[in-house]
Order: sequence, then C-alpha cells, then structure tokens
Amino acid sequence: METFFTHSPADPQSVGQGLWLIIALPLLGAIICGLFGRALGRGNTNFIATSAVFGSFLLAALSFWALNDYRAVLHSAFSDVYTPHALGQQYGTWFSTNAFRATFGLRLDHLSGAMVLVITGVGALIHLYSTAYMEHDPGYWRYFAYLNLFVAMMLILVLADNLALLFVGWEGVGLCSYLLIGFWYEDPAKAWAGRKAFVVNRIGDFGFLIGALLLVLLVGAFDQQWQAGGSPRGHAPWHAAVSQEGPLHFQALEGMARVLGSPAAQLPSSVQLDSPIAHGPLAGMTFGAGLTLVLLLFMLGAAGKSAQIPLYVWLPDAMAGPTPVSALIHAATMVTAGVYLLCRLNFLVVLAPTAMVVIAVIGGASAIVAALIAFAQNDIKKVLAYSTISQLGFMFMAAGMGVFWAAMFHLVTHAFFKACLFLGAGSVMHGNAEETDIKRLGGLRREMPWTWATFLIATLAITGVVPLSGFFSKDAILHGVHSTRVAGYPWASELVWAMGLFAAFCTAFYMFRLYLLTFHGQRAKDAKVPHAHESSWPMTAPLVVLAALSVLGVAWGLPLIPYGDRRQALIENFLLSVFRTAQRIEGSRVLHIETSPWGAWASAWLIALTGFALAAFLYLRYFPAVAGKPAPAPVRMVRRWVENKFYVDELYDWLIVKPVKLGSFLLYKLIDSLLIDTLAVRGVGWLTRVSGSALRYSQTGDTQSYAAVMAVALLGGLVYALLQVFK
Amino acid sequence: MVPTSHYLILAAILFCMGMFGVLVRRNALVVFMCIELMLNAANLTFLAFARARQDMSGHAAAFFVIVVAAAEAAIGLAIMIAVFRSRGTLNIGEIKTMKY
Repeated sequence: METFFTHSPADPQSVGQGLWLIIALPLLGAIICGLFGRALGRGNTNFIATSAVFGSFLLAALSFWALNDYRAVLHSAFSDVYTPHALGQQYGTWFSTNAFRATFGLRLDHLSGAMVLVITGVGALIHLYSTAYMEHDPGYWRYFAYLNLFVAMMLILVLADNLALLFVGWEGVGLCSYLLIGFWYEDPAKAWAGRKAFVVNRIGDFGFLIGALLLVLLVGAFDQQWQAGGSPRGHAPWHAAVSQEGPLHFQALEGMARVLGSPAAQLPSSVQLDSPIAHGPLAGMTFGAGLTLVLLLFMLGAAGKSAQIPLYVWLPDAMAGPTPVSALIHAATMVTAGVYLLCRLNFLVVLAPTAMVVIAVIGGASAIVAALIAFAQNDIKKVLAYSTISQLGFMFMAAGMGVFWAAMFHLVTHAFFKACLFLGAGSVMHGNAEETDIKRLGGLRREMPWTWATFLIATLAITGVVPLSGFFSKDAILHGVHSTRVAGYPWASELVWAMGLFAAFCTAFYMFRLYLLTFHGQRAKDAKVPHAHESSWPMTAPLVVLAALSVLGVAWGLPLIPYGDRRQALIENFLLSVFRTAQRIEGSRVLHIETSPWGAWASAWLIALTGFALAAFLYLRYFPAVAGKPAPAPVRMVRRWVENKFYVDELYDWLIVKPVKLGSFLLYKLIDSLLIDTLAVRGVGWLTRVSGSALRYSQTGDTQSYAAVMAVALLGGLVYALLQVFK
Repeated sequence: MVPTSHYLILAAILFCMGMFGVLVRRNALVVFMCIELMLNAANLTFLAFARARQDMSGHAAAFFVIVVAAAEAAIGLAIMIAVFRSRGTLNIGEIKTMKY
C-alpha cells in the first residue's frame, strides 16, 4: 500500500516540467469554446469543455501521485534546505527591472496539490452538471468558455510560485466571476450584481496590490540589512536567488521569515522582527510592524475575494449567475482563494500576532453575521450564499489563529458539501420551474429522491454531525482555535472559540430550516408547478459523487498518524511539509497547548444537535401550529432587520456609494463638462474660428498686393541685416 | 579687371527693376518677364561672388536657378494661356477670384 503511493509511474522531475499542461488544457478548452463554440454546436462544446477539465483532473491526479513519490524533492536555490513533496518548474521571466522581477514559475506541493485536485475534480463534476443544467440556454458556448477560463485562472492562482503570478490568477478569477454573475446580462439586476461583485473585489485587490508592493520594499530593506548585519550566514545564496527569481517568490519570503523569526540567541547579529528599517520609504518602521501592515492589506484582499467583513456584500448578489457557477466559483473554489493566500503565506502570518488576531476575529464576526442573516432569507441560493460566508469565516478563524491545516481541511470538505448543496439547489430549481423561494417549495422528499438524499447528507455534513467530514473539519478548527494562544492576545482564543461555537449553532439551525422547508412538510399551495420532476443523470451523478465525498472526506480527519505522544489527523500530517516553516518559526508567538479533544468534540456535537432540535421544533411543530396568527411586534421588528441583512447594503450605499457618486457627479459637471468640454475643447475651436473669420479679409486675391507684402518683408529683413552689420 | 562691386550694383539695379515691374505692372506677361529679370539678377550675384572667391559652387547654383526659371516659364506660360482662354484677359487686376 505504502509503496504503491510512494512509487509513482511517472518520474517526478518530468512531471514537474509538465505542470503547465494542467493549466493549458482548460485554457485551450476556453479558447476553442469561446471562438468556435457556436459553430461546433452544443454537443461538441459540452464535450470539449467537460473533457478539458476532466483531462486536467487526470493530469492533476498523476502529478499528485508523483508528488508523494520519495524522489519528489524540490531543491531550492534560496537555501540549502530542500523541500520534500514539492515540485517546481521555472518557465522564464515575465518582466524584470533592476529591483524587481516576476517569473512564470509553477510550484506543486501538498497545499497547492490539494487545491488543484479540488478545483479540477469539483470543476469537472460541475461541468458535467452544467451540460444538463444549461441544455436550453442559447449562450452555452459563452458559458463554457467562461467556465473553462475560470478553471485555468484558478489553477494559475494556486500553482503560481510567486505573488506576482498568483495575482494574475487572482484577477483572472475575479474577471470570470464577473462575467458569469452577469451571464444573463439582458436582466439589468443581474448585470448590476456582476458589476457590484467586480467593484467590491477591486477594492480588495487594491489592498492586495499595495500589500505586495510593500512586501517588495520590505524584502529589499531586509536584504540590505541582513547583509550589513555582520555574519550574514546564508545571505549569499538567498540574495542570488532573489535576484534570479524575484522578491515575491514564496521561497524568498520563506527565507526572510526564517531569519526574522529565529530567536535572537540563535542568530545574534541578524535582523530581528523588532529591528528598525534603516533605509528606504519604510525607514523608521520595524520589520514586525511592516509585516503586520502587509498582512492586514493582504487580509483586505482576501476579504474581498473570500467575502468576509467588510467586503462580503457582493457574494449574496452573486447568486444572480447560473447555479452551477454559484457552486463552483462562489462556494467551492474562487472564494477560498483568500484562505489559500493566508495558508500559502503561513510563515509570514505567524510572524505578525496582531494581524493574526484581526484575521481570526474578522473570520469569527463574518461567520456569525452571515449566519444570522441566513436565518431570515427565503431564497434557497441566498441562504447557501450566506452559509458560504459563514463557513469561510470558520476558515479565516483557523488561518488567523495559525491552525492552517484545519483551515485547509475545512476548505476541502466545504468544497465537497457546499458544491453538493448548491448543485442540489440547482436541481430543485430545475425541477420546479426555477422557483427559489423555500416558502413556495416543500415536500420534495418523495418527488426528487436523489436530490433529497444528497442534500440531506450535505446538510448533515455542513452542520457537523459525527460520522461526516464536516464534523471533523469544523471540530478541527474549533479545537485548534481553542488550544492555541497568540502572544499578547491571550483572550483571543477564547473569544474566537466562543464565536465559532455560536456560529456552529446558527449553522445547524439555518441549514436545517432550509432543508425542512424545502424537502419536508406539504407542498406549498402557491408553488409554480404542481409536481416537481427529478433531474437527469448528468445532474444527479455529480450530486451523488459529491455527497459520497462529503462522507469519505472524513478519512482525512481521522487521527491515525502517531506524532509525539498524540495522534495527528491524516491531513495535518499531510500538510506538515508545507507548514513546517511556520511551525518552526512560531516560537513564542503562537503556542499550541495540548488539550483533550473529547470535550471539544462533545460540545461541537451537542451544539449541532441543539440547532437541529430548535429548527425541527420551530418549523415542524411551532410555526405550522401558529400559522395565520401575526407574530408579536418585537419579533417582527427583529425579523425585518434580519431579512434586510441588517441594512448593511443601505449603510454602504449611504456611506460610500452615494458620496462617491456625488463626487463623481460634481467632477463630471465641473471638470469634465465645464472645464474640459466647454472651455478647453470648444474654446479652442471657437477661438480658431473667430480669429480665422477676422483674418480672412486680408486675403484679397490680388497677387500684386501679396507680392508687395513680400517685398516690404524683404526690405524689412534687409534693413535689419544692415542694422546688425553696422551696429 | 572689373571689380566685384560693379557686378553687384548692376545686379541690385536689375533686381529692383524686376521687383518694381512685378509690383506695378498689370499685364501678367510683363510681370512674368520681370520675374525672369529678378532671377537673372540673382544669377549675376552668384556668378560675381563665384568669380571673386574662385569657387565653382556659385556656378552650380546659377545652373539650378536657370533650370528653375525654365520650368517656371514652361508652367507659367501654360497657365497664362489657359487663363486667357477661359477669361479673355491677362490683366491681373481682374483675376482675383481666389479671395475671402
């Protein structure tokens, strides 16, 4: 068994050289579907798009196998430390200046490998599902071109070995998300939703960009001071590799983190976190403060992409796109990019405790706020969208508290069950004439057995019922958060833990509410169609696979690997090779205390059950019993608040959108209309015309008067020359 | 030997006569001949300086002027014939349609 996994059929080095194929396949699919999709016809386009992603999945699986090979070792130019279970390939320089260089380098390790498998695997299933879901849509070729392009961009994002190339994917997925949210652009509301998503994402991307540029400055200052610091052991290879691969290469940053994070006693003369920056634009700031600033800016970017407070408002509106898009982009893959970014930069995150706590608290707050809003939403996709924000909040809690493996674990399991839920919702809509209001559904259990069964499994998984994957991943987060202390913020772990428990309770409640109202009870009287129909096999097959994965994902969470005096979960051990730098430099900043997991397990389980029970009582017994009677006034007020999402959209509208619009209007009227259009452009035209019409009378048509002017001018020139000579 | 200044003075007189004719005469043909006179005055100046400085480039310039004058005569006379055919006059006081 073990030798089977550690002996891949392909040579790891040649697999490393061919990593670009994983990206190229869906990119080629996007080009073919986009340019020739209409001419090729529906069947061919479906086939090309789906098989491109399936092929990419097979390549990813092969690469992943090679990754586990004992020969798969990444020799780094940055230091003599080699990385096991990693493959990399440098495809050349993208652009370079004397101080900065960005390369086309790809890197596959267990972190990006897990992401690649999820993206291509879930992506392939959703492509298959889409062939049935979009069977009547005339824009199928556009849809599949965008979807393939999205997969390619997401793969660039996770495979990039430097932040510059990662940013290409980061922007690319944002673009595809915009294109797909506004896919039905004839509907102005949907087109606006796309625009909103794009603008909100741009705000986050701005933070990312500023953070990356600050990081370049920081690396430059660090380079200088490390060399000047007396005995710069290890500086020379690092410096050479940085000028070769660029300062934003992950291994460059890792090398910097290694030096900054090592205790002063170990490397007496090197640069420390609290040593001030001597030169450059950041002079006077300490390295630690600079890193905190950079990470907070990255968190702003991650909040934009992963829909966290304060930039979460775009995700619920993003449900305007086709449902498979919501499943792939706005649940399983793109929105996890922020979590991936923080996990990728784990070695920097653990150096900045302040940023860590901010990230964790933002995650916790997002988890709670989104879950509360989900209580009162009646649109099946909106509930799932808020649930996505909430679950991403869990991942940010874990990443913020330095329990990166738990964040990644929840990311993977969440991709399975949330994609299953969304595709189930799409199946429900498909079988009920595009009805999304759960109040007007109900009783679908018998009519759509496959959808019902898979939806139930995914619901149980997301709420964290014991034998399913969601329990292990959520519990890993809660337990990890609870047993971690961030230096200087001892209160953080208890606070974040309590937030997580409350959010878990809310999750159980709103998910069970959604499930009960959709599949149980009687069919609503005002339903659009009297009987729902079960979807065809290309739609149910992905549901079954994803539901099975939601159950089987549990295997990664089982504590099987002996590690010290305890047992590690499989995935913790699996991701150790990625996070070991972080673990090594955590030092006194992040403290993992060993606590018994049993208490955490029991509390998590009890909380999920309480949520279940409350939802079951309210929606099966209480509300049907009081139907028709008006609710008491305070309840109605609270419900109105929650239904209107705490008026956050309105608040943003008043605070940001309206002032910006007013300012733009003033600028348009004053600068554009008055100054540029009227004064500058029309003014020049007017002046030319007026002076022309005045001067044209000098043109008499009499040749001899022209000649006279010339003669006088000649005479004038002669007089001038004479005066110059005899002066 | 005749001093250079004599040539230059002669050329200046010829030039001024030509210019005077161009400015005051009404017959386009006469104006045209006056222009030729000015060109030849210029030629004379070139040659005078070429002789004074023993430099052949003055001669070359004179040849260029002759070529220009010949081309000008060919085109100018053709224009004049065309104008005369269409309007029946060569009085430039009457030919002033190209104005505001």
